[in-house]
Amino acid sequence: MRYYRFGNPQGRFLGNTEKYSVYEKVISEQKHEMPAETYQNLPGELTFAYGPATGGLMESVAFNMHTPGEVIKHIEVDPYVKTRRLKVKGLTPRDALLMVERINGFHAASNAVAFEMAVEDALDIDVPEEVQYSRLIMLELERIRSNLEVVKRVCEPAGFGVPQNQIAYLRENVARIISRLSGHRYFFSASSVGGCQISKSGIETRIGGVRKEFQEIFDALLQSKIFLNRLQNNGNISEGSLLGPAARASGMKVDARLDEKLIPYRKLGFRPVIFDEPDAFGRFYVRSQEILASADMILEALDNNENSTEVDTAGMNGEGAARIESPQGDLFYYVKISDGRIDDIQMSSPSLLNIDAFRKSMAGNIFTDYHFNWESFGIWISELAVVMQ
Amino acid sequence: MSSIWFLNGLRKGIKTERYPSADPAAAPQWPSRLSGSDAGNCPVDAITSDGWIIEKCIFCRRCLPDYQPTGEQDIFTVKKAETAFRKSFHVFPLDSGACGSCNMEFLSIFSPQYDANRLGIFMVNTPRHADAIVIMGVMTPGMKEALDRAYEAMPEPRLVIALGACAVTGGIVGDAPLDREKYHVEIAGCPPSPYTVLAALNAARGGINSHTDSGWRSEEVR
Repeated sequence: MRYYRFGNPQGRFLGNTEKYSVYEKVISEQKHEMPAETYQNLPGELTFAYGPATGGLMESVAFNMHTPGEVIKHIEVDPYVKTRRLKVKGLTPRDALLMVERINGFHAASNAVAFEMAVEDALDIDVPEEVQYSRLIMLELERIRSNLEVVKRVCEPAGFGVPQNQIAYLRENVARIISRLSGHRYFFSASSVGGCQISKSGIETRIGGVRKEFQEIFDALLQSKIFLNRLQNNGNISEGSLLGPAARASGMKVDARLDEKLIPYRKLGFRPVIFDEPDAFGRFYVRSQEILASADMILEALDNNENSTEVDTAGMNGEGAARIESPQGDLFYYVKISDGRIDDIQMSSPSLLNIDAFRKSMAGNIFTDYHFNWESFGIWISELAVVMQ
Repeated sequence: MSSIWFLNGLRKGIKTERYPSADPAAAPQWPSRLSGSDAGNCPVDAITSDGWIIEKCIFCRRCLPDYQPTGEQDIFTVKKAETAFRKSFHVFPLDSGACGSCNMEFLSIFSPQYDANRLGIFMVNTPRHADAIVIMGVMTPGMKEALDRAYEAMPEPRLVIALGACAVTGGIVGDAPLDREKYHVEIAGCPPSPYTVLAALNAARGGINSHTDSGWRSEEVR
């Protein structure tokens, strides 16, 4: 492993895999425990069950909200109700990639690239910088779409139908850009170990168009005091292990792209968007600014990117790890490969810490705040509710 | 841009395409109907000596160049249409164990480009108000009770729709939630595009997808 080592816990905690705890540069067998907090209803309080399959939820997830009527005193989240078991071990990296892409289809590029980089680390495969630019384009396009979806969903509970639909329109346009670029609306089978195959024909104008339209919508949203009031001071969280936009909204300068050595973010002068409002508004603001910043990065990267074909991994052995910044935070993969097949695979999803942060930030909020706050974290359950066998 | 959203919306104009009365304006290649023969390299056995099995296919492109995408979006089967839902069709989505992409494509049919509401197709928040349940993803033990209870809660007549390769056959990930004879509509794709989902739902309530013979191509609104 070139960038990670096994050792004692050190640095920022990023999450747990099935076997390990993951930090910035260290994988630890000493598991960072995250005990579930329990709550006993006081007299007059009740437990309101929401989910797992009901309106307002994109994925299946179960909530228990403890309340005397309006204030939510405590909330429990069960993200494991739809846990899938994927048979990955024993497959070649090429076949395993088909599974990895389907861990979280909406963030398939992030999962695929992190897995590919872990395999390349394990097998000492060097990928040309021009190809890493192609991966950067994939990751940032995915971030734009994901952030658009979060901003759209934050508008929804406010009954803000016009911006909600205008952003849905932009999100669909980005899906079509991705389809033109990679042949598939979710980047499935667009990249491979050692390679990446995308077409950038006509992408520049379309990305520029999305950026311009979103900037107009964002500026108008910032003028709506009623909308902003629903977000400000809703879901305050500034302590503990925070990742991604939630961390950056609370003033923490944390972003895997700052630590990235292979994907050329530094050459593009990448600087994370940092804000100082640790609430739903701060998360909305950071994600909106990241849409604009990602569009700018893509436009620059388009001048430098190239494609390459897949590398044959038959009969190879090694152990590697990689971490990238997915739209909701640090996403980590560890692989061990024996005789060209996956011997072990471990994944740490940012959903784990984001759900914990959401849970803590809900105490004291009222029911009508719940939807804004949940959506502002942009959590994807599928990435957490998965076991790789 | 004015912060008066009503005027703001009017200024943007109509963004909705004419599909399914006209051809899709931006049909993706993957997934779409495949055409070809003689490919042997399929990780989900969707290509056999008898040809291509549409419901198993995850559109991973390994069959290239023997099989090529046509761009045609009609990769669904309607075994039973219910014309009682012709004027208004209320559907309840249920994620039994999906990766999220089917969830997003289902949701996308309500975005301005497709606007399923204009066809009288609506999403509902509870199975008690639903004419059809749209199942996405493989079967997971934790969701079995939710699926059973949602089905039982639906009034008659009711349709059961499988959306995506996982729900129809289990795809590459696992096992399908229900036996295939229980589905009235099967929508292939990994995930199926919004064009496919919209046409399948329209056909399920007896609507006509006239784009196939209209020769009238929609313009992609940008």
